[in-house]
Amino acid sequence: MRGLSKMFAALAAFALSACAATPQQSTSGSQSAVPVPDRIEIGATLPLTGAESRAGGFYKEGYDLAFELANKDGGVTIGGKKVPVDLKLLDDTTTQATAVSLADRLINQDKVNFLLGTYSTDLVQAQSTVAEQAQIPYVNGGGAATEIYARKYSWLFGLLAPITKLADAEMQWIDAQQKAGKLPKPAKIALAWENTSHGKDFRKGVNDFADKSKGNYSVVVDESFELNSKDFGALLSKVKAAGADFFLVDAHLPDYITMQRQYVTAGLCHKVISYGARGPEKQAFDALGQDNVNYILSAVWWNAQLGSRGLNKQFVDAFRAKYNRDPEWYQALGYETARALFTAIQKANSVDRGAVKRALVGLKMESVLPGGQLTFPAQSGQQAQYAFVVQQNQNGKSPIIFPKDVANADGIAPNPNCK
Amino acid sequence: MELLVGLTLSAVLLAGFYATMAYGLGLIYGVLRVVNLTHGGVLMAGAYLGWWLYTRLGIDPYLAIPIVVAASFAFGAGLYVLLVRHLPRGAAGGVQSLLLLFGVWLVIRNAAYLIFTGNDQAIRTAYSTQALQLAGTSTSVNRLAVFAVAVLVMVGLHLLLTRTYVGRAIRAVAQNPDSCTVVGIDVERIYVITFGLGTALAGTAGLLAATIFAFNPTFGGVELLKSFVIVVLGGLGNVIGTAVGALILAAVEVFAILLLPAYLTAAVGFVLLVAVLILRPGGLFGQRVLS
Repeated sequence: MRGLSKMFAALAAFALSACAATPQQSTSGSQSAVPVPDRIEIGATLPLTGAESRAGGFYKEGYDLAFELANKDGGVTIGGKKVPVDLKLLDDTTTQATAVSLADRLINQDKVNFLLGTYSTDLVQAQSTVAEQAQIPYVNGGGAATEIYARKYSWLFGLLAPITKLADAEMQWIDAQQKAGKLPKPAKIALAWENTSHGKDFRKGVNDFADKSKGNYSVVVDESFELNSKDFGALLSKVKAAGADFFLVDAHLPDYITMQRQYVTAGLCHKVISYGARGPEKQAFDALGQDNVNYILSAVWWNAQLGSRGLNKQFVDAFRAKYNRDPEWYQALGYETARALFTAIQKANSVDRGAVKRALVGLKMESVLPGGQLTFPAQSGQQAQYAFVVQQNQNGKSPIIFPKDVANADGIAPNPNCK
Repeated sequence: MELLVGLTLSAVLLAGFYATMAYGLGLIYGVLRVVNLTHGGVLMAGAYLGWWLYTRLGIDPYLAIPIVVAASFAFGAGLYVLLVRHLPRGAAGGVQSLLLLFGVWLVIRNAAYLIFTGNDQAIRTAYSTQALQLAGTSTSVNRLAVFAVAVLVMVGLHLLLTRTYVGRAIRAVAQNPDSCTVVGIDVERIYVITFGLGTALAGTAGLLAATIFAFNPTFGGVELLKSFVIVVLGGLGNVIGTAVGALILAAVEVFAILLLPAYLTAAVGFVLLVAVLILRPGGLFGQRVLS
């Protein structure tokens, strides 16, 4: 069914693009060919309703804040003139076909200058095809799967680092604990991953690390499961029988909650346990109880605890002032995605799509993301590459434990829950 | 050995939930010849109602069963009176009823998005993560409770259909509504009761699901498909057959992990469905279909 809908969305994307008018702007022309407009129109869709509405709402907050702050300074500077930026945001209802048709509408009917991306792999994958066909810069912070960027689209730019790096960051922390003698050597890993491109990247990251470890790690269970599975009894029985030291899973929130509940009641305990990017969510604490999520490891693209200095502090302070709470990585990525596009427009000194694309290709900007610098390397299909921050649930809090330069607590290994 | 015991226990406990989930669909189709696509929406609504009663009013999910049953019954009976009874039945009305009930499901789902947003929810009680040792395997107390409710539902439904006037009338109407009218059975009333009862069973299953799984407004779609598989396996309108169908599906899904990747185990049930439809279209426990 998912395959069918993907196929229909891709077909729709190509059909709509084929019907699209010839791009109204030069794709390679000089800056002077495009006059400086009174306002810059930037189009975007987000899943404001439907299955991804929670994340979509968070990205909207990030976009809104970025536009508000940019316009507070008068807008984006082009040719010495401050030009306000307008966001035309539509609800793609977490549906590929809607995301595709709305992108087409934004390009051909609303005549937006540029596009910001939606959220979730499926939607970004389908929508970016429309942008590529129409030759309009498409900057997204909502698609992490490497298969999106493996297509080598030239108008697509992604701020989410690949999930392989998530797995790699967790394995690096585990490796440091192993070297410190806190974890067994060699160690056995039980690996479970959702059957999506997200999960496949996670699996690749763990397996690649294990393969390079010269026998320090061996994967003894390597199983995938369907999204929104209801029963993990069989999978957990297999994990139990394998006698693994670590249990590393890549799951979305509902599967994390359901699996961890069954994991606890099955009497399982591993020296290290992780659900990929999931771990510190309030819903999980509420659904499982603090004791049952303690010491779970997770890795994310960004964490509000990075906000003690520099650009991060500016962002976190501005977000708190506007929304009266701390941002999560979703809002940070939304904010930074819009900021990356603004920076590229300023560097291009033009609203010419080709010029802005070239500016994005060569972009090297100070960023709120880990590492402090954002680029879109050509060799990775213009997907940003940076290290994840690893955090661990510790008695109701989730401090950053890795990398060391941003860590604000020590990680705990082995899991003290295992007696 | 430990793995086999664990898998067997998993299959049996899962079968209890599956059976409760499928009874309503089988009952409504067996009597009214209507494929109730709202079933998935009612499963989801039952989960949310149970969650709301627990988080807002502090009512334990198992004590909330009568409330959810009553609310779901009222919804189902109302749905029948307002919409379903105006549709043609059987093959003639198949498309209309499918479209109508699918539309109702979409309305329920979108109402849930509007009221509860798309956030994932789960019910956590004091016993949600409690376990006890059973045959040397750590087993969830809550899943045992769900299984116990499933057995009670099966026995209760069987007794209702075989020992009470209403139950016998339901079975009679399922066989021949025209003859029932001749002998004085109020067929329309039986249809209202059946639709209400089937919906109440779906609501109960949704409530039980909320104690085990995380859920959001999309919940119910996969469960509806699995209910179809179970009903076809067990034969339409057969309570014990449905329970056995649920056990077969659960066992196939759980034990398939010994041979297949975990993500393919759910598909095994559907392969089984196709095989049964080809080899024994009336279901494993239904009537043999003569060519």
